[in-house]
Amino acid sequence: MNWQTIVFDGFTYIMVLYAFSLISFYVCVGIFSVGETRNYIRKNSFTDYRMLASATDAPSITVLAPAHNEGLTIIENVRSLLSLNYINIEVIVINDGSTDDSLEKLIKAYDLYKTDYFINEQIPTQAVLGVYKSRNLVYRKLIVVDKVKGGKADALNVGINISHHDYLVTIDVDCVLEQDAILKLAKPFLEQADKRVIAAGGVLRIANSCEVEGGRLVKIYLPEQFLPRIQTLEYIRAFLLSRMAWTRLNGLLLISGAFGSFDKEIVIKCGGYNNKTVGEDMELLVRMRRYMEEQKEPYKVSFIPDPLCWTEAPATYKTLGIQRNRWTRGTIETLQNHKKMFFNPKYHILGLVSYPYWAFFEFGGPIIETLGYFMFIVFCVVGMVNWSVFFIMMSIFSIGVLYSLFAILMEILTYNQYKQKRDLLRLALVAIAEPFVFHPFVVFSAIKGNFDFLRKRHNWGNMTRQGFTHRRLKTKS
Amino acid sequence: MLLIKLFMLSAFFISLHTLGVIILVFTNLMVCLLIFMLIYMYFRAKREKNQTNYKLISDLLVRKAVFYDGLMLPETLIPVTKRVKKLIDNKDFRNRLTDELVLAKKNITGTSAENIKHLYQQLNLEKYALQLLKSRYWHIKAKAIQELSLMELKEYEFELYPFANNKNELVRMEAQVALVQFNGFEGLLFLDDITYSVSEWQQIKLLQKLSNLPPLLISVDKWLRSSNTSVVIFALKLVRSYHRFELHDAVLQCLDHPDPIVRLQAINCFSEIYTDETSIHLISRFWREGLKHQLAIIKALQNIGSENDNPFLLTLLHNDNYEMKLFAARAIARSGKKGLASLNDYGTYDNKLNDIIIQVKGELAA
Repeated sequence: MNWQTIVFDGFTYIMVLYAFSLISFYVCVGIFSVGETRNYIRKNSFTDYRMLASATDAPSITVLAPAHNEGLTIIENVRSLLSLNYINIEVIVINDGSTDDSLEKLIKAYDLYKTDYFINEQIPTQAVLGVYKSRNLVYRKLIVVDKVKGGKADALNVGINISHHDYLVTIDVDCVLEQDAILKLAKPFLEQADKRVIAAGGVLRIANSCEVEGGRLVKIYLPEQFLPRIQTLEYIRAFLLSRMAWTRLNGLLLISGAFGSFDKEIVIKCGGYNNKTVGEDMELLVRMRRYMEEQKEPYKVSFIPDPLCWTEAPATYKTLGIQRNRWTRGTIETLQNHKKMFFNPKYHILGLVSYPYWAFFEFGGPIIETLGYFMFIVFCVVGMVNWSVFFIMMSIFSIGVLYSLFAILMEILTYNQYKQKRDLLRLALVAIAEPFVFHPFVVFSAIKGNFDFLRKRHNWGNMTRQGFTHRRLKTKS
Repeated sequence: MLLIKLFMLSAFFISLHTLGVIILVFTNLMVCLLIFMLIYMYFRAKREKNQTNYKLISDLLVRKAVFYDGLMLPETLIPVTKRVKKLIDNKDFRNRLTDELVLAKKNITGTSAENIKHLYQQLNLEKYALQLLKSRYWHIKAKAIQELSLMELKEYEFELYPFANNKNELVRMEAQVALVQFNGFEGLLFLDDITYSVSEWQQIKLLQKLSNLPPLLISVDKWLRSSNTSVVIFALKLVRSYHRFELHDAVLQCLDHPDPIVRLQAINCFSEIYTDETSIHLISRFWREGLKHQLAIIKALQNIGSENDNPFLLTLLHNDNYEMKLFAARAIARSGKKGLASLNDYGTYDNKLNDIIIQVKGELAA
């Protein structure tokens, strides 16, 4: 055996092993998600959320909404937050150094005045310029904070310092929440008697092409544009399958920053959001879990499959690329910060399954895939391609499509947001097209994210959005 | 060389065959999945159409029962069409009708609610619910219990009692709610025997159910001594909600409970039931507790404390923790005019403490 054969065989076996592990994970995710979703739906059918809406014993919740240059929609979005159906709630809007007229608009619309407010700086942050409250009792739940720009994580930390309540719900101010979203997110914290629920996440859905009026979702449509539609499928797969499966294993590592709830006491004990990472949502949850493991306290992270929060997906390749690049850098930073847990039995499922999964498949996936393409070209040139293995490897694409179709099936069996047969077929077509059109771009953005991480680029990137108001007018005309 | 090339070419074609097989298998699977989805959607649409029809019939029947003004004696029958009598054997229709009856019963009271119950029994629907109690699936069992509970069929209380300590959480919860529904406060007797925890969610449910009933003095003190921590916590909530002042000393004992959650609940309880001596007891335990409990004690003192507690609270203004300083300043300010005056006189070089005092004064002025 010469060295070329050894390299070739070694590489081939590693790739086959990797592909086999990935397929095994797909199968496990499918099985676990079915069990968890079924359990949730059955349990949920016994829940009367009206009872929680009026219960004085309901957990007290602070909604944290960081905003940077959101002047166009901020009034409507805050109004939507204030109308959420929950009794024990305060809404803190953090104006993170906006250069537009967001603050002036808020002051005028909600009759705000600057208060003498002591801020208990349990987490260090950028300077707070003022804390505003409303003279109008109708808006007594609202607190607006004006601060020096420090990024999303810093803005959230200011909100945590100011919050009076026991639980935090973080939302992106441009998201649209269902009326009962907070009720559903609060319930997991009340259910567990033997374990402490430290965080609960909710499903994000794509709102492109949906009708939104007055900050509320009026009608659901499958996105008309190709990219948002393909992301609709991607979100269904990620939230309805993957996150539900990880919840069943109590190994969930990511709750989206756009909509998630956290136990404030644990968040503060962990030092709040890390403003040195662009993946602050994942990093916080991993740190909270790590803290609980180190304290040897039984805990749980819950996830709710109900569609509760609707967001706008990037509609251009440029914005999508920026987003995926940032996600990759966030993942690498989190994995790097917590590398101590890698295959560390002290951290149980977190160290032995969740962390390695993220390291090998979420972070490593795009790298391995790119390496595979590169090596394939090299082997073709030197005439060493084993076509059987190659075609077996290519079958992963088919399994990916099958997995997507399974996700669509789960959607139909559970929440069925897109009721027309036409929508089902459009989603199925998207599932078939995804590996050839969308997936390569996502892999490319992830690789770019890796390079940007190595070049120590820590910026968020400029995410331009179309906005709901614009689209609603377009839909109605 | 040619031989090698031929070998490679043949390997390539064999692989093409492999590819063909793989593609065929996966394409078949995909097509099957798609066909299954379409068939499922077709049957669901058909079922939904039937359900709409059943809902219409059920709504009519429910409306008839709600507005029925005949004398409601046990032998009275609400007129039911032959079609409905026939449809009762259809499981889908029966489920739909039961759901509609349960929903109506949940949302209305008085004679109309009695009429709904009467119709439910007249159609012998409880027979099916009792059958479902034997199901091996927890969600079916729990649904049957919920149904019997909402229909206030107290005669089945003994059938439901064992479920109050069932290993399944949902079954247990529904059975406990049913017992409270049937017997009011006395229904809480299941707390004597329960070995599983009563979750916070269940506690809210039970308190909500009880809030609709006139308060009744039942013996709560035994639950304050229960070995089941969740029962002690629930008992403390009852003491607090129903202002059971006579249990002050029993609650005091809970301040020494080994479980910190019980101690926290006991501290919170004293905001509602207290004597002149309560604050002394709380202060005497202050330094034994962690920060969370210490803050809860100061918060309780805001409601129950007097100016006598101010010397203690003033010492807390020197504490390193600013949250504690804020809470203490608030308690001092609320203790009366003297308290506010002592804060005014409190000269400090600590800017943050000055900010706290300004904020507290602002809160009082608002």
